[in-house]
Amino acid sequence: MGSIEQQWRRGFSRRQALCGLASFLAASPLLHAQRDPYPLGPHRRVLGFDEMRTAFDFEPVFHDNVPLAIYDYTAHGTDSEFTLYRNRDAFDWVELVGGGGVTPAEVDTSTELFGVRMDSPIMLAPTARQRDLHPDGELGMHRAATSAAMTMIVSNVSSFPFPQIAEAADGPLWFQRYATRDLEGNRQVLDMAQDAGCQTVVVTIDQQASYYERDLHDRNLGGAPRRARRRTPQNPPNPYRVGAGRLWYEWTLFDDLRPMIEVPMLAKGILTGEGARKCLEHGVDGIIVSNHGGRSLDYGPSTLEVLEEVVEAVSGRVPVLIDSGFRRGADVLKALALGAVAVCLGRASRWGLGAFGEPGARKVIEIINTELVHAMAAVGRTTIAAIDRSIVRTSFP
Amino acid sequence: MKVDRRQTLRRLGGFMAGAPLMTQQPRQGAPAARLAPVGELVNVPEFEAMAELVLSPDRFTTISGGHRGSFDRMTLRQRLMVYAMDLDLTTQLFGYDMFAPILVGPVGHQRELHADGELATARGASAAKTVMVASRQSSYPIDQIVADSSAPVWYQVYAEGDIGATRDDVAQAVDAGCSVLCVTVGVSSLQTPVRTDWRAVEQLGQAAGVPVVVKGIMSPNDAETALQHGAEGVVVSSHGGLVTGDGALPIDVLPAVADAVNGRVPVLVDGSFRRGTDILKGLALGATAVMLGRPPMWGLAAYGASGVQTVLELLQTDLARNMAMTGRPTIDMIDRELVRIDSR
Repeated sequence: MGSIEQQWRRGFSRRQALCGLASFLAASPLLHAQRDPYPLGPHRRVLGFDEMRTAFDFEPVFHDNVPLAIYDYTAHGTDSEFTLYRNRDAFDWVELVGGGGVTPAEVDTSTELFGVRMDSPIMLAPTARQRDLHPDGELGMHRAATSAAMTMIVSNVSSFPFPQIAEAADGPLWFQRYATRDLEGNRQVLDMAQDAGCQTVVVTIDQQASYYERDLHDRNLGGAPRRARRRTPQNPPNPYRVGAGRLWYEWTLFDDLRPMIEVPMLAKGILTGEGARKCLEHGVDGIIVSNHGGRSLDYGPSTLEVLEEVVEAVSGRVPVLIDSGFRRGADVLKALALGAVAVCLGRASRWGLGAFGEPGARKVIEIINTELVHAMAAVGRTTIAAIDRSIVRTSFP
Repeated sequence: MKVDRRQTLRRLGGFMAGAPLMTQQPRQGAPAARLAPVGELVNVPEFEAMAELVLSPDRFTTISGGHRGSFDRMTLRQRLMVYAMDLDLTTQLFGYDMFAPILVGPVGHQRELHADGELATARGASAAKTVMVASRQSSYPIDQIVADSSAPVWYQVYAEGDIGATRDDVAQAVDAGCSVLCVTVGVSSLQTPVRTDWRAVEQLGQAAGVPVVVKGIMSPNDAETALQHGAEGVVVSSHGGLVTGDGALPIDVLPAVADAVNGRVPVLVDGSFRRGTDILKGLALGATAVMLGRPPMWGLAAYGASGVQTVLELLQTDLARNMAMTGRPTIDMIDRELVRIDSR
């Protein structure tokens, strides 16, 4: 063969170049590295377990493992997804400052909450139907949390019954509940969870009438035509086609639930100081600042920007936890500096479980906790108790 | 050094991967490859893509676009745990109980968008129990538009040109049953800025015999002048994006105008309202109701009356949902505390 033919054989064709370009773009770590890398294109190569470096690395693997509808259920925010993105943007409005002089080996992330010692202020947020992500489901998630010595909050709508999840491992479990209007119906479920050893009950109060456009857009990727999926509720209690759902919630709900709950009762979904004070008036023992990962109210604030307002309103009377948008150790540290005692991971833990099952969930938690250790060392704090407001500078809009 | 195609492609690849143009955007709507059945569209912005499919570029340009920036700087502060089973969006405007505080704004020449033009808009708006503002530049006679409506129809004119002829048309529209006269100021029917002839506004109002709202108010001073010349309502509007010199949008100047008017007359607003949260922000910042320009026209162009109806119903539901979630289940509970505006 002549040199031209050799070049053809070994050379780089236009087709290969375009393929390479397309796959590189699809897999490129996105210019907004701090945002959820969506939409994702098809990948030439799915990264392996040992290649996971940050929580974000798990999302494309998870995406490629599951049907689009399952991925979207984890990824979506409500309506235009403004708040979903604002949750991430908020971390750019808080800078970590100062410190130094500490090595990661000196850092201790252990802390205490409701009298229970935890190895880390990171917890697993309650998220629904984890067996959709991986056959390990909540059982794997609990084992992962236990091996990382973290507390898991089990969702009201788990794929396995709470007692079975509790048996899967020894680690601490909390139980999250959406109250039903039939109050006695709550008693049975709460008894079941408390009998199985849940350490607290988290009552979620947001997400009364959210709307997920991404779900409605799901269509069969095999080429079948898109189905009409805009849903209208049955027998709405108003002429505006808004389903009854949780529109009946009132503050007295906590008074009604209190006698059924012997463990600490937390409220999840608080975003204002006013809301936090109301919680305290109604016997709540802890508050989770949450906008449900951008899945509750569109155009609501990010949780990070309202955290201090809630912390001030509570003024130390009960613990304040936070979730929504946390993906990195530095994110966790910022929230701790602004007054949170613990941070819950929702999507990040789902990416881990969905990507590699139980080992993936464990790895994603460990990555974020290691990042927290490094971030604490970088600002010169060796213990959680030593983290204070002085390590951050905020510029919320 | 020679540059061949292969190297060029490689470099192009590297360049694109680093280009700011590749910033991720949330996926919005169906790829506009085919006209989806109207029941599949899940939000109002999707209707714009459908309108683009059916209109020529020239016509689509006249009803495309919008300015979202101001809405993206406003977040909502929820009031939690407020009982919202009895959602009620009704509000009174000029003696009429509106089903929801949303109106279809005036747009001329609608037959260019759909063969049934204003008649389809009238039917769609009526089906969604919504007031329609019919333009003097309508493709169909006003009496036909009113005949096809079961909800009130307002009549809109420009305060320019031959006032006598305009006054005759107003009289005819009022005879046909139009319940409110909307006089647009600050812009001509050809969408070019003009100096407002307030005497003409006053004359048209006096001759009409129905309430007059002045549309095109962009400052507290404008509002005060309009009231002095007999306005019984104002519409804060920059005529669909013909923005003021300093780039302010109607939603930005609304609070100041509402403060100046101070409840003496209803204040309406238009300008890039696309979602229920946008409308909620308008109401919180002092509007009695919100006027929609482009969105119903997207529905009209793509689907006729059912498109108009669906756009309006989607926004009614969207508004109602967000009122429920922010703890304001009735219109009079919507207060200014609901909206927080970013300081930068």
